[in-house]
This record gives sequence, structure tokens and C-alpha cells, in this order.
Amino acid sequence: MSLPELSLHGLERPDSLGSVCERLAERAARGEKTVLLAGGTDWFVERHVAPATDGSEAELVLDVSRLPELRGISASGDTLWIGAATTYLELRRHPVVAARVPLLPAMSKDVGAVQIQARGTLGGNLATASPAADGVGALAALDATVHLLSVRGPRSIAISDYFTGYKRSVRAADEVITGFTVQMPGEGSFQYWRKVGTRLAQAISKVALAGVAEVSDGQVTRLGLGMVSVAPTTAFLPTVRALALRRPLDRIADSALDAATQADVSPIDDVRSTGDYRRHVSGALVREFFRTLRSR
Amino acid sequence: MSNVGTSVPRTDGPSKVVGTAKYVDDLSMPGMLHGATLRSPVARGILKRIVKDPAFDWTGITFVDATDVPVNVVALIQDDQPVLASHEIRHRYEPLALIACDDALRLARAARHVTFEIEPLPAIFDPRASFERREIVAPPDNVFGRYRITKGDAEAALASCEVVVSGTYSVHHQEQLYIEPQGVIAWFDERGAHVHGSIQCPYYVQKGVKKTFVLTESDVDVVQTVTGGGFGGKEEYPTVISLHALLLAKKSRRPVKMIYDRQEDIEATTKRHPAEIGIVTGCDRDGTLRAISIHVLMDGGAYVTLTPVVLSRGILHAAGAYRWEHVLAEAVAVATNTPPNGAFRGFGAPQTIWAVERHLDKVARQLGMDPLVLKSNNVLRVGDTTATSQTLKESVGIGECIEKARTASDWDRKRALGPVVQGRKARGIGACVFMHGAGFTGSGERRLKGRVALDLLLGGRVRIRTASTDIGQGTETVFSQIAADALGLPMSQVEFLQPSTARVPDSGPTVASRTVMVVGSIVEAAARELKERIDAEQAATGLDRRRAMDALVFRAMGTAEHVYDTPRDLEWDDATYRGDAYPVYGWGCDIAEVEVDLDTFETKVLGFWAAADVGKAIHPTHCKGQIEGGTLQAIGWALHEQIVWKDGAILNGRMTNYIVPTSLDAPPFTTLLVEAPYSRGPGGGAKGIGELPMDGGAPAIAAAIEHATGISMDNLPCLPEDLFERARKGRAA
Repeated sequence: MSLPELSLHGLERPDSLGSVCERLAERAARGEKTVLLAGGTDWFVERHVAPATDGSEAELVLDVSRLPELRGISASGDTLWIGAATTYLELRRHPVVAARVPLLPAMSKDVGAVQIQARGTLGGNLATASPAADGVGALAALDATVHLLSVRGPRSIAISDYFTGYKRSVRAADEVITGFTVQMPGEGSFQYWRKVGTRLAQAISKVALAGVAEVSDGQVTRLGLGMVSVAPTTAFLPTVRALALRRPLDRIADSALDAATQADVSPIDDVRSTGDYRRHVSGALVREFFRTLRSR
Repeated sequence: MSNVGTSVPRTDGPSKVVGTAKYVDDLSMPGMLHGATLRSPVARGILKRIVKDPAFDWTGITFVDATDVPVNVVALIQDDQPVLASHEIRHRYEPLALIACDDALRLARAARHVTFEIEPLPAIFDPRASFERREIVAPPDNVFGRYRITKGDAEAALASCEVVVSGTYSVHHQEQLYIEPQGVIAWFDERGAHVHGSIQCPYYVQKGVKKTFVLTESDVDVVQTVTGGGFGGKEEYPTVISLHALLLAKKSRRPVKMIYDRQEDIEATTKRHPAEIGIVTGCDRDGTLRAISIHVLMDGGAYVTLTPVVLSRGILHAAGAYRWEHVLAEAVAVATNTPPNGAFRGFGAPQTIWAVERHLDKVARQLGMDPLVLKSNNVLRVGDTTATSQTLKESVGIGECIEKARTASDWDRKRALGPVVQGRKARGIGACVFMHGAGFTGSGERRLKGRVALDLLLGGRVRIRTASTDIGQGTETVFSQIAADALGLPMSQVEFLQPSTARVPDSGPTVASRTVMVVGSIVEAAARELKERIDAEQAATGLDRRRAMDALVFRAMGTAEHVYDTPRDLEWDDATYRGDAYPVYGWGCDIAEVEVDLDTFETKVLGFWAAADVGKAIHPTHCKGQIEGGTLQAIGWALHEQIVWKDGAILNGRMTNYIVPTSLDAPPFTTLLVEAPYSRGPGGGAKGIGELPMDGGAPAIAAAIEHATGISMDNLPCLPEDLFERARKGRAA
């Protein structure tokens, strides 16, 4: 539905997470579609470009952006909790995140521009399940756990199990993403973020790579990688991970990394870039990640 | 008292900053309808039937098709473009029908209930295929224009030159991307037709309305509302949207507002002409340039619009800013089945300057010379003759431009150092030398006879009346500065009337780097005449200045109207394309320093030095703003912008995917003003500056990329993907 039809959508702002779940459950049972609105930075753009309809596709919009249960960042031991409605700007400004997971503020700084960063949320980024989602690339590198809730109860799944296809996920129609937990990388860990976008701001990634590594006695002991815009879903680069994890760093050859990367990506031509270029850059970013890691 | 040469606060600034300025979409009329355009889904075909879904409720919806158009022609150079296609469709997005409704949502829904039965025809998107007439898409021969310039005997000279270099270069489309999309409000009343809108050239719109609706001048009032940018995109196109709104207004008997959204604007309106340019040059081993042969093939798009004029400007700039004893330049523009290409800052010149500058970099490489030395040694000076055999008599500040840019950028050291590679990044530096004709070509100004009026108003105020629009570039402020100084009045006593064809004389279109230089000089002349009258009145009556001004108003002596005093010594022959192509030229030297990522092929512009000879900077801040803005537009054309086409449709018609540089992508600019005054320029010698800065950016960037990486780009754009492909092919070879 188009922007002039905005008023046809129902809008509710439930005052608790429990009511959100109940509302979702009722509607899901009747087969009715519901939109959970957090920052709205995708949803409104989609409305803006959508053609006018006869009005029959009106959806119910549940505004979850102000629910206290979905907001906030907290650390408990080495575990970091990030509420689903946490904005990029909050990630940029949080002292614990800045100190322990600098990957997140680095990624957040490259999303849109500051206006988008102030509205867009990490939960929303995952919910749309776009392979171009920068935030999801970072969560993939951190091997985050996704927390979902419905009237049926909570469940937690590894982010690598979340996607089922292009813009598709395991999240059921009655479920809401409540937040993420991340095992914060240790002291001296290496964290990497590089976005190759169409320009320096207000850009969607052509390719981006998020990476986390810990090295002990020359061996890679923790490795997380998330690559953006190179496959139907966020790419976890399993072949590269398998190649390098628990291996001596100086025994990981660039040629092997290249081959592994190429096995893990399947980029396409689109209005932003070409599949060939993306393949090339995918390899270059993985090489740069390991080159930088080795030189530390 | 001197306002000229001072960066006074811009007169239109406060209202734009606080948001009280009324753009066309801020305006409303009682009973107003919203209008929409229904466009062709195919690039070429025959329109058989328009079907309105009988199941849809059409109450309250005005529908217009070609049968409602009195004279179905968009009046411009040739009468080939219909206001609404009635039979033949020549491009995707071509307007086929119009609808209007008081409810924007019902309007959008109605639009989806109109379908077109079209018999598709094979379309041509490659200008070479059009030139070879593989299909005739614009009868009789697909050709929109041809020009030929000769000086000496280029072919014979090339045969005897010591060093002969040839190359082929190409440039791509570019979208103007003014911040405010196209829009108008139009209505008819007992006085005739009215159009208020975002318009560069109100008299062009008036001409179109007169033709289509068979009206006279006094029946048509076209008013320019506050306009958010144009860059040429609002030169000819507003005539189309104005005619559409008026057709709906006529049929509905209501005022009709039409505002394009960004996607419609990018898809349907004009772009910069793509071109392919072949060059052969001959020179001595010491780098003395002798002869050049140039062949330009330009892509006009589906209708003629302004293509012949763009082609003319292109060919007039194709030999660059250099001395050649022998020149042969041939240019042809052909039709393709994309939306018509049209006016865009630079108007053909950035296309051909790209080619000649890339070519001279190639010549320098073959000679083993510093390219800036090669260019500097051959650049035109006073007394030299141009490609059209025009002898340059004055105001050639290019030597100073080159010296300033060279020194400020530390060119000699950086260029000699060669590419600086650190890790996976390589730095390089490149230069472009260029000129741009100011004002209309040849006898254009003489034919046009631009007029301006200045009125004394009671209370010691003065009002400027001109059709030259302020579209963000600062016309209002600069004209006020010129008038205030010529009158000996403070700026605060000078005002600028909103351009309206009913109230201002035709000073000509706001195009061609002519506003300050040509129209500004008419403003100055009219102001001087008023000052003489005031002085005489004071001398005769002994009144103080203010009372003397009032006395002139009471005696109906308060208006001075002036016609442009075309320089009489200019000689131009349209038949041979020989003579004084322009009264004077602006000159520039751009130097770019870039860093290319050798992994991702992203180019970062580390520094940009732009030296420009502007004659006289009336308002130095605006002048530098023009140079920086134009240069950034050129950098965008080189590094970011690209229309993605598929079967004549545009796949990236939004600001999220038609990529222009953001402030973060903009380099640090060092802008160096050179003032070699033009004897007939206003304010002590001002020349045109609007287009010049669009010419140098792309070649300078490409030269710097080549210096950094060895990747020599002959074709625009230089997106990371293009550099990657070029490098890959280079490796494969």
C-alpha cells in the first residue's frame, strides 16, 4: 500500500510486551497480517514506493518502539544483552559496547546517516531479513543469540539458524524479537568492520564484512564472520571459518582463504554493483581481515 | 559604496533558512485538483487504445488524452514532440494520458485502472545503431543535428605530423537531481492561462502554452515560484508539465497542481546527453600541438528538444583550450528510444572536454611529458585563434589559473614523485585545463535582444524586473549588488520582482552562463540610466536624493528599460561555423589528488584545487559556491552517478540508488579565483561562471586515477566496478 493510504492501516501501541504477544497470537490465529513497527526506516520507505491499492491490503501496525522490555543494553559478566528496539545511535554511544564490542559502533556509524541511526533498530534490521543488513552482519560475526517471545513462551536460537531464505526466517507470525545476547569478545580480541558501499554515507552495502577473532599462542581460538550483500541471506562464511578456526594463523594461506570465500558467497548483479565485483571484493575483505589479524 | 566584490548576505537567504519561502508544493488554490501523468510502459510502439476500467468509479476524475490537446506539440526547436502521444510512442515513460482528482489517493488508484493497448516496435538504445539506421526511430534518418568546423587542413597536417595519437572516449547520462522536483500549479480564468511553478525560463513555458492552446502573449502568465535548483533540468522540461497541468485545468475548469515525485522525475525528465568522441591529433616531438580531428556522436534520446544546441556547444568546445593550426570537427546527434536528453550544466561541453583532456593525457604519456606542461605550453593566449578561427582579444586568465592551481596543489613535486603506494592504497594527481564560452553562441544574443527594466518606487526604493530566475545560484543577490552600486544606493533599497511573464520583460532564458555577464550588464546599464536621471533631477530642482527619486516616479519617469547592447565587433557565420563563437570565455585549471583502494577500487578524492578565471567575482562566496558545487557535480558524474537502464526503463530512479556524492564524499576544495576582467562584463568585468566548473572535474579525477594506478579510463563513469573490470582486462591482456 502506498503512502497516501497510510491512514487505512490500523495503529496500536500496546503498553506491554505481553499485550503485543496476545495481539499477535489472536491475529495469527485468524490468519491476519501484523506489522511490528520499531524504527520504521524500512517500512515507511516501502510504503513510499509502493503503488496504490484498493485498500484491501490494510495491515495492523503494532508500534513496539517504546516498549521498555525491548530497549536498552546491559552487560552481565561477559554476556551483553541488546534489546531489539535499540537504535544504532544508542549502540554508538554506549560505553560498554564501545569498550568491549567496538565492531557494533563502527558498523552503526556506517548505517544511513545520523537521522536513520537515531530511528533504525537492530531488531528491525533482523526482522526484515535483508541480506544487505549491516547490523545483521555484525550480529553474525558475534555469533549472537536471537531471543523470540510469543504466548507460547520464549525461545532462543543461534543467529546462524535464523534465516530460511531471502527475506525469510524461522520467526513465526505470532513471535516478536525481544533482543540479542552476545558473548563479548575477550581483552585483546580483534574486531573488524569494513563496509564497501555506494558512497561514504546514505549508502547500502555492496559488500561489507564484520569479523571477530581471538588468537591464543598463534592459533585462532574464536572466529566469527558475517558478510553482507553477497548471498540470499547474511553470509556466515562457514568454509572460511572451518579453514581458519583452531589453525595456526601463519599457516592460513591467502589462496586457501580465497577459495573458501568463493565457496561461501553467491553474489548477484543489481543496481548497486555486479556479481563479479562483489566476488572480488569478498575475497579482498577476507584477506584484509586475516592480513590485519596477522600483523597485530 | 561598493557591494560588488563583497560577499553580502544573500537576499533570499533568510526566508529559505527559516522555511517561509514558498515552493510550488507549499501553494494551494481554492478547488484545486491534483494531476498525474500516465506513461508508456514500452520504449517504442503504436498506441492502439486507451482502456478505462469500467468497474472503477470515475466520478470526479478528469481524464485527458491526445484528443483533448488543441495543438499537440511541445514548442521548442522542432515540432516533433507531442504533448501527449496519440499514435507513435518513442520512449518509455512517454506521457499518454492525464488524470486529475481532488483526492490524491483516489487519483493514485484511478491511475492503476487505466491500461494501454500498445503494439510494440523494436527500439534502439545504442546511438551507433541509430546512426547506422538499423531502425528508423525518428524519421527521416534518425539525425537530430550535424555540425562541422574546419580550420586549416587537418587531414593533410596529420599525415605529416611527427607524433600522431588516436583514441575513442565516451560519456554517460547524468541526472540533474535538483533538490526540488518538477512541479506547477496551473489554471485558466477570464484573463487567460496561468502557470506558477519551479521554472528556469518562464518565457519558454509561455511560448509552449501559446502554441498548444493557440493563445497570445497577453493571455498567458507564467510565474516562477521559489525554485530549488535546476542545473538545466528546468530549462525546457517545465513546458511539458505546464502544458499537462493546463490541459487538466481546462477540462476540469479547476486549478490543477502537478508535482512529480522523485522517481517520476528521474525517470521521465531530461538527462545529460551521452556521447562517443573519436580524436586523432598530431604534434611535434617537443609537444607542440599541430592538428586535431574530432568526431562526435551524441545520443539525443527520443525527441529533438534542445539536442542541436547541445551538440553545437559540444563541438565548439571539442578542441579544448588549445592552439591548433588545423582543426576538423564533425558532430552528429541521433535519436534513440530513451526519454529525450536535454539541458544540463555545461550543455555538451563536459562531454567533449572529457574526450580532449583524456586524449592529451594520452599524448603526454606517449611523449613522456608532464601532462600539465604539455597543456600549459599549448594553451590559448591573447592573440591566438580558436578552433572557429576566433582571435582572442582579452580576458584570457588561463596562464594564471594554471600557475595558481599548480603551486597550491604542489603539482610538480607530487606528479614527479609518481604514484605513492602505501599498503593497499595508491595516491596520484591529475589535471585538467579548460575553457567555457560565456553567453549564447554566435549571434544568439543579438537575435534574442534581452531586456531588463528597473523601476524607482516611492520612498527611494528600486525594483529590478527581469525574467532571469534565481534557482539557488544567487541571481537575486548579484543583480541587487550590481544595481545598488550603479545607482549609488544601499542594497537594502533594491528589490527583485518575482519573475512573471506578465510583469517582467524578456531578458532571455536563465541558461548558458549568461545571467550575470549578459543580463547583469543590462541591469547595470538600466541602473546607470536611472542614476543619471536622478542626478539630473537633483541638479535641476535642488531636491535631496530621495525626493528627487519620488519626483521622477510622480512624473512617470521612474522606469528604465534596457536592451542588451550586443558587442558590435563580433562576427559569426552560422553556415561555416566560423568566427566569434562567444564574446568571451571563462577559463579553468582543475587539479585532483586521489587515493584508490587497490582491493576495492574505491576512489577517495583527497584534495581538489580549482582555479577559475571569472573576470570579476561580483559575490566571491557565491562564485566559489558555484565552482565547488559544479565541480562536485562533475566528480559525482565521474565517480558515483550512473543511470541503470533495462529496455529503456530506469532501474535506479530514486535517491537511494541514483548515487550522488554526500558531504562526506566531497573533497576538501581549494578554490582559487582569477580575475582577468572582460571589458563588457558588469561590475568591473564579470564573465559567466555557471557551467565552467562542470567541465574540469571528471577529466582531472580520471587523470589522477591513472597516475595512481596506471588504469587509464577513456569512458565514464569511473565507478569501482569499472576500474575493476578495466584492471582485470588489463591483466588478462
